[in-house]
Order: sequence, then C-alpha cells, then structure tokens
Amino acid sequence: MKFGQEFQKALASTEFPEEWRGSAIDYKHLKKCIKKINTELESIGLDGETLHHLSEWMSPADSIQTVAGQDGKGYYSAATPSLAAVPEEFTPQLRILVDSKTGTPLDATLAPETRESLQKLAKHEMAAAGRREHVGSVKRPLDRLRRRTATEDTARKQSVSLEDARWVQVPLASAKDFFELLEPKLQELETLREAETAKLEEEIFDLGEAVENVVEPVREGFEARREVSYRDLYFWREMFRLYMEKPIFYSEHGPNGGALTFKEAHSRLEDYDMRIRSTGLLEKMRTPEARQAAKRFLDLNVDILKIMHFQEMNARAMTKILKKFDKQTRLEGRAFLRNLRTQYPALLTNGRTGTGGGSTSPGGFASSIARDLNAELATKVLGIVPQVEDWNCPVCYAMAWRPVNLGCCTSVFCINCIIKLQEEGVERCPVCDKETVLQANGRNIDFEAMDFMEKYFPLEAKKRQKFHDRAAKMAERGGGGGKHEEEKEKIPCRTM
Amino acid sequence: MAAPLPKRIIKETERLQNEPVPGISALPHDDNARYFDVMVEGPGGSCYEGGVFNLELFLPDDYPMTAPKIRFLTRIYHPNIDRLGRICLDVLKNNWSPALQIRTILLSIQALLGAPNPEDPLNEAVAKQWKENQAEAIKTAREWTALYATAKK
Repeated sequence: MKFGQEFQKALASTEFPEEWRGSAIDYKHLKKCIKKINTELESIGLDGETLHHLSEWMSPADSIQTVAGQDGKGYYSAATPSLAAVPEEFTPQLRILVDSKTGTPLDATLAPETRESLQKLAKHEMAAAGRREHVGSVKRPLDRLRRRTATEDTARKQSVSLEDARWVQVPLASAKDFFELLEPKLQELETLREAETAKLEEEIFDLGEAVENVVEPVREGFEARREVSYRDLYFWREMFRLYMEKPIFYSEHGPNGGALTFKEAHSRLEDYDMRIRSTGLLEKMRTPEARQAAKRFLDLNVDILKIMHFQEMNARAMTKILKKFDKQTRLEGRAFLRNLRTQYPALLTNGRTGTGGGSTSPGGFASSIARDLNAELATKVLGIVPQVEDWNCPVCYAMAWRPVNLGCCTSVFCINCIIKLQEEGVERCPVCDKETVLQANGRNIDFEAMDFMEKYFPLEAKKRQKFHDRAAKMAERGGGGGKHEEEKEKIPCRTM
Repeated sequence: MAAPLPKRIIKETERLQNEPVPGISALPHDDNARYFDVMVEGPGGSCYEGGVFNLELFLPDDYPMTAPKIRFLTRIYHPNIDRLGRICLDVLKNNWSPALQIRTILLSIQALLGAPNPEDPLNEAVAKQWKENQAEAIKTAREWTALYATAKK
C-alpha cells in the first residue's frame, strides 16, 4: 500500500480520538500542492530537468541557494504572526545566481529560453534592488561562490565578472500554499503533544497516589489489614519488576537505547500484558482498589502508546512529504525542517538520526513523549514500590541486612560483609576507597535504612535475619566480630 | 563437599550471560562454577585488534574478599603479560575491591590491551623492546596476534 493510503486508513481507524484527527498532517492535499508547484515552475521554463542541471553544476555541499526566501526562513515565516506585517514579501522564491549582463545563470547547460527569462528577471531585480532589503542575505552565498570560483574555475572567473552576478528570485505561490498548509499542522501537533502529555502526567500522578495507598504497608492498627497490604506489596513489586526489566517506551541501554519506536513499544506492551496475565498477579490482589489501580496502570500504558503512534505517524508523513517536495521541486524543503526544529524543541529529540540512520528512534514528537512519560512513570509510579536490587550490599549482592554505612559514601553494606572485611584487614571502603572500614562499629548501623527495609522488604529481612543468626552462632568463637554481635542483640527484631 | 555457591557468584554469572559485555565472554565450567573460560577480543585500533584471546579465571574461596585469579592462555606479546600469561594489573592486586566484579575486571584487562604500560613491566624483554623500538614492538604484537589469537575454524 502506498504511504498516503496507509496514512489515511490509519487515521480513519477508531484507535484515535476524533479531536486528534484535525491536527493530522493533510498528506493528500500537500501532495496536490507539490504538483501545482511543478506546474508553476514549468510555466516559467524551469522544468525538473533544467533545475536538475542547475543544481548539479553547483557543488552538492553548498548547492545553489535554490532556497526560497531568506536562508530558507521565508518558508514558514509567511505564517508567523510577528512577520505578518509584510506577508507579501515572503512568498517563497526560487533563487538562482545569474550574471546580470549576459543572463547566464553561470551554467551553460540551461536552455536558451530559460536564460532569457532569467535575464529579464535579473534586470527587473536590479531595478527593484533599492526597494528590496535582501542585500545582507545575498552577500554570503556570493562570497562562497567567489571562493569556489577562485580555486576551481579560474577560466570562468576571467570571463564572468562576479560583481555583476545577482540573485534572481522567482516567486512561487504554490510553494507558499504548501508551507502554509504544513506549518499550522505542526503547531497543532505540538499543542496536542503538550495537552496530551499534561493529561497523562496528571493521570500518572493520580495513579501514583492510588498505588501508594494500596501498597503502603501498615504497621500499626489491625493485624489483618497489614497482612493484606504487605502481600499486595509483593504483587506490585513483581508487576513493576517485570515492567522495568523491559521498559515499554524507553530503553536505557542495549543497542536500541533511547526512545523506542511505536512498533517496538507496541510489541513490548503486548509482551508485558501476556506476562502479567500468566503470573495471575491481578487476580491475587486482595482489595478491589488494588486491582483497579493495576488496571489503570495498564490502561495508562495503552494511552501513552496511542499518542505516540499518532505523533509518529504524523512525523513520518511530514518527512515523506518534505522528501517528495525536495525530490519533485528541487527546492530545499529540508531547510524548512531545520527551522522547525528550533521552533519546536520537542522535535529535536530524535536529532538527525531519525532521518539518516534507520528507524531506531521514533520520529518527531513521539520521541519526547516516550522519554518524558517514561521518566514520569519511573519516578511517580514505579518508584513507589522499592525494588530489593536497590538495597543490595555491593559485596555479597544480597539485601544489605543489618545495613552498615561507613560514613564515607552513601553505600550500605551488610554487617557480615563489613565484619569479614575487618577480619581480612581490608582498610578501604570497597566503593569509594576511603580508609573507613577498620573504624566501623555498632554506631555505623544505619537504622533509618533498616527501618525502611523492614517495612518494605519484610520477607527478605526475615530471611536475612535467620541467615545472620546462623552465621553468628558459627562465629561464636569470638574474634573481630564480637563487638558487633553485642550490638546486634540490642536490636529487637520487629519482623518476627 | 564444597560449600554452596555464594549468591553473589550466581548473580554475577547470570548477568554475564544475560547482559554480556561486547567483545567479552565468560562461561563457567559445568563441574566447577568458580572456574571460567574467558574470551576477550583485542580492542579496535590496538595492535591486538582482530585477535581473540582465551583466558582462564578462577574465583578463590574468599572471593570477593580477594581478587579473581586470572591468566592468559593465548600467547600474547605485551609488556604487562608474561610468558605464562600472568597479568600485571593493579586492580588484580593491591587495588582490588570487593565491589569490583568479573565483568569490570575483564573490561580492565581489555583496556590494558589497548594501553600497554612498559613503565611497569612484567615481561622485561617485551617492555625493553617497547621502549626502544615501539614500531617494531607493535609489529611483533600484530604478528603474534595473527599467529596465536585468530579464532579457530
């Protein structure tokens, strides 16, 4: 299927809310516009082949400034309110460097009739020079050309006095239509992105609170209630652990790091949904509030995916239509795109990779949506349920139970590992290398961390405690650890 | 009977398998989970580029309190690696920390291939050559890499 048809069909699907549709890029109409531009160009003798010759003669790097308006700005400025005062001045124009005496566009391959019309235009241009204020923008390309000619084209330089070269500007009304059609759509897409992101962020925030309510372990009060919530805590933890194992929208590492494409995100969400189903976690949750919050979490992911899909499709439509524009008219639409990126920073996030190197990151606004909402989800929802990995001792990789902080850095070790390090005579902190290990004693037990772990990892704490008790019995022969054992006895075990 | 494998070693082994480091692999033996067959690719742009080096790695009983024992099995022309494949690397000796892991150590070794240090030599003869005629030394290292460290068919 052709992209145009594909695009229309996807838009018409019920997946997207009605109100989004108006912001979609009008691909069909834009295509017609390109056709009109071509007709217009042909009517002044600049058919595709002629334009091709023209741009071929110039080096591809600084290919002739067939850029409409001033440095490409004219493309969209027609629709920019601040410049609305002089709108007729900003009709897109084809600019060609021409020797005003002979009318030679510094290109011998042009058809004679084209040369003629260009000569006429050049003369007209000279007459109007006083009125126009394009001098500044004309100067640079001229300088560049002068340099070029000096090194590569000395023969030509002698015959053509460059002082007489002028930029001829061919007004292109249809091109103006094209950009006037495209530009407001981008504004609408950006507005839509902002509105939808704000809406989703709000939902994420609400959901975060709902999750907090159903997972927060209750230590005081009714024993029964406590039992319920801390079981649920483990279900939520598993649910989020599975999510973080393979994030849906954004991948921190791996070959496809960064924002994921809609396609990839879609398959990841399906995969996640299936895994959640197979664990039966949702059914295990005790309270209806918990089940409802879990469903909201899944729905939220679907909503993020939807807006991502919509934006990505539109980004593709935009890239395609601009490519078509470039290819068929040989005017540089890409300059327009560059300008847009400064106007809509959110578009920047896919950088140049989106257009150049494969489709590893989603186009346009989809990329920033994926990144922003992924971060929001991570901090406001996923972060509510702590994962045990974040509390592991850097030495034994088990939960740092009876957490010890050496005071030199934020790392927390288990008391056993610190005792072992002391027995081995290790002086330096395993993480930050400061000589703090041998000074450590009972005062280094991090009670705040211990409280936290008891609250959020009651089962792990219990298990670790048993392990410690066993180890302590075995170590009863005394030695370096004796002091710490005493310390341990003083701490009542609340999880038992 | 040997003591059960510490959780840490199990976790490290799993992670090495599930999130492998590009250009590095470490597989434990079936009959001894503390003994690893290691493969390290010569870093791109170095005179070991294109080479695949085999090493053996052993985690002693008191690991991670002490560093893993590690040795090159493939012959290599390098000022900090001797004829027996022993490696002179600070993090394997004085600068070992229990917070380091198999993967970080292997990365350090790969980095050592990329930056030979003849000022702190283990192999005097190679280091001497490296200091006196670096071009020749690099040439030899390349030849050895092609001779000993190209993957077997």
